[in-house]
Amino acid sequence: MRAEPLQKKKKVDPKKDQAAKERLKKRIRRLEKASQELVPIEDFITPVKFLNKARQRPPVELPFEENERRALLLKKWSLYKQCEHEMERGAIASLLEAQREALQELKLTAPELHAEATKRDPSLFPFERQGPDYTPPITNYQPPEGRYHDITKVYTQVEFKR
Amino acid sequence: MAAPVRLTVLGVARGWRRFEGPWTRRLGSRSLALAAAPSSSASPWRLLGALCLQRPPLVSKSLTPLQEEMKALLQQIEVERSLYSDHELRALDEAQQLAKKKSDLYGEEEDERNILLLQDLEDMWEQKFLQFKPGARITEADVKNDRTSLHRKLDRNLILLIKEKLGDQDVWMLPQAEWQPGETLRRTAERTLATLSENNMEAKFLGNAPCGHYKFKFPQAMRTESSLGAKIFFFKALLLTGDFFEAGKKGHHVWVSKEELGDYLKPKYLAQVRSFLLDL
Repeated sequence: MRAEPLQKKKKVDPKKDQAAKERLKKRIRRLEKASQELVPIEDFITPVKFLNKARQRPPVELPFEENERRALLLKKWSLYKQCEHEMERGAIASLLEAQREALQELKLTAPELHAEATKRDPSLFPFERQGPDYTPPITNYQPPEGRYHDITKVYTQVEFKR
Repeated sequence: MAAPVRLTVLGVARGWRRFEGPWTRRLGSRSLALAAAPSSSASPWRLLGALCLQRPPLVSKSLTPLQEEMKALLQQIEVERSLYSDHELRALDEAQQLAKKKSDLYGEEEDERNILLLQDLEDMWEQKFLQFKPGARITEADVKNDRTSLHRKLDRNLILLIKEKLGDQDVWMLPQAEWQPGETLRRTAERTLATLSENNMEAKFLGNAPCGHYKFKFPQAMRTESSLGAKIFFFKALLLTGDFFEAGKKGHHVWVSKEELGDYLKPKYLAQVRSFLLDL
């Protein structure tokens, strides 16, 4: 009996919704325009505790002989490294030469085998191997009991599409 | 089935020495001057695929004296240019406190805070370290010089050599097999591995191409129309797992490093093999 007059919202309703949506979109666009926060590289940020002056070592005055010894050792080392590099280069060159000659021989003997030998081997890569350690692995080693608590910080980079 | 024989037959060897002169300087090449170009459509050379199986090093090489000195120097420089670490700061503080206590003549009460001095911590760590026994870098096989074992010379590449009977001689060489039509040379090498180890070994082959070759002619007595000589193509592989079975194989195989190859292989074969082996 006592009814409220019918609310005539139908015309204004969609416009209000649209206006609200556009305001939201504008906000999103503003956030996008603002420069993105990149994942920080932790190696490049000096932790504050290392800026403490009490941590700095007193500068060491080295005697003359020590300086001389160091300079001489560094020179010997550079010469040694140069020789080592030359040897490695020679070894690699001889390796390549041996392979080149083998392929040449194969070509002369059997061209079809040569064609197969020069094909790529897709199963070669990815090739993973553990390098040599300082001591060999111990047989039947019992590692101590315990659990790892991994506290590395993981950042996620949120990509905004423009 | 003429088995290939090395050029130890005198007549042929002397002839080849003449050709060796101008070419010895070139690394690894043994260019043979073929007496007559093969006229038949099928090549008169027999093809063999050989396997250069290497066990990669398990342990890093020990440092030379110069490297040791350099290592010590770099360590010194690093320490000199660094800041004090937490451990060192604590050591300095404790040293100061001890000095204070000694010079303090009033005889104050003992501080109960630092029961565990840094020195005690370091002693504890030292004890723990001494209790751990790492694996030996020089194994017993090294001491006994047992060349058939894989655990010898952990810092070098070891190569497999096989002893086979050719004609009337026992010859050491890399494992090889005759090429059969319908397979690639790499398949031949893989077949060699499988037959040798009875499918016990796993190896990673480094590519389809051979890494080296060796060719030789049969002595006059053994030459026929279709086989003038043989060409062996070597394929490199890295041993991943597995080893020979012990039974029945004693004295027939050996794992050697590059220097010891000379004890086993014939000179010309050796020269060719050496050219494609990396000396660490």
